Amino acid sequence: MRGGFLWRNRVLLTSGALLIVSLHLISTGVHPGDLAARPESAFLEIVSPIDAAFTRLSDGASSIVTDYLDLLHVREENARLRNELALVKSDRARLAELEVENRHLGEMLELKDVLGANAVAANVIGSDATGLSRTLILASGSSDGLRPGMAVLANQGVVGKIIAISPHASRVLLIDDHNSALDGFDQRSRARGIVAGLVDDGLILKYADRSQDIRTGDTIVTSGLDGIFPRGLLVGTIESVHRAGPGLFLGVTIEPAVDFRQLEQVLIVTQPPPHLDDPGKD
Amino acid sequence: MRLILLFAAFVLLGLAFESAVPHLVSFRALIPNLIIILVVDLGLRHHGVLPAMLAFAMGYATDALAGSHPGLNAFMMTMVFVVSYEISTRLMVTNALVGATVVFFGVIATALATVALADGFGALSHTGALLPGLTLKAAISAIVAPLIFSMLAASKRMTGLPARAMRE
Repeated sequence: MRGGFLWRNRVLLTSGALLIVSLHLISTGVHPGDLAARPESAFLEIVSPIDAAFTRLSDGASSIVTDYLDLLHVREENARLRNELALVKSDRARLAELEVENRHLGEMLELKDVLGANAVAANVIGSDATGLSRTLILASGSSDGLRPGMAVLANQGVVGKIIAISPHASRVLLIDDHNSALDGFDQRSRARGIVAGLVDDGLILKYADRSQDIRTGDTIVTSGLDGIFPRGLLVGTIESVHRAGPGLFLGVTIEPAVDFRQLEQVLIVTQPPPHLDDPGKD
Repeated sequence: MRLILLFAAFVLLGLAFESAVPHLVSFRALIPNLIIILVVDLGLRHHGVLPAMLAFAMGYATDALAGSHPGLNAFMMTMVFVVSYEISTRLMVTNALVGATVVFFGVIATALATVALADGFGALSHTGALLPGLTLKAAISAIVAPLIFSMLAASKRMTGLPARAMRE
């Protein structure tokens, strides 16, 4: 009935019901294969080609702007030299780009050789849409053999793990996200801890005992004990160690080995590490 | 149906833009939150059950491309819709300035609420470093909002949808 309570408050009642549904989703989580994961996966699949096109467009726009700025700089010289210089610059930029890409791919191949045949390469086509979390979108999905929970690496070190997937795209939770955690240890002192991200950007080593010998500049590597990341992969170097305060644990910040903003290609470990050792026994 | 298609197209482009552009602009605060702008427009100008469900769907679509807690953005966008709707029912006119103001506070409130819901309220004590960037992002979103509102209004006129709230 149009004049009734339900009709008058239909917007608020619907919104209230939707808020309850959202809270239910947040509290229970959405697992791959769930009914609730299907719209998410479908949307990722729909958006990923548009995302890839936007990335290509933005890269193209960036190179146009760079070329234009270069041309402005050269305009002060005579016309012939200007054209010649622009051509040479364009060729050099293309060659430099090819060289960088070649180097990246070479390093990725080396890493793939180290990991054995159980790794798949993928291109990065986007990042977290809100910027509040640290995630990446890859142009590979379940049709390439990827599954949620798989480890993602770059030639410099650990990147993160896959959290959502569609047939041709996937999302990666970076290790510096505030909801990320992985088991790592200090390569020199063998002190173990949990590598976790912070809300306000940065990476820390949690639960490192105050008695442990951890120093600035030490290397943190994966322990392999989490069953996701192969053992011995570079996570980062210790940036600072705080011993002040009454807490049980050290305050340790880590400088990540990977520059997550510069990632273009990554490797995904399609099989977990076959053998897990306790790093403390080394 | 036209409303769904129109907003679906805007959401697709908005989300693709927001996830692709960080490759170009490393400072994330400079990228406006386009989805909140769309939700505020829904809340201010479209009063009904379908717009409420659209706001939820837009948040859930954002969850597919952002964050690690599915449902979090759906919750936030529904909240932004409710607040925008409530504001529009209490004001005589819901112009671009009102919309931009709601967008500004919406960006800040949803970001802080997202941190609190995802990591617990204790995590809010670590958000001090986030606030300057967050305020800048909110300001840029508010500046961009009138432009998006007018683009939406033009698209609505083209598709025969009402561009203003029924009371105006």
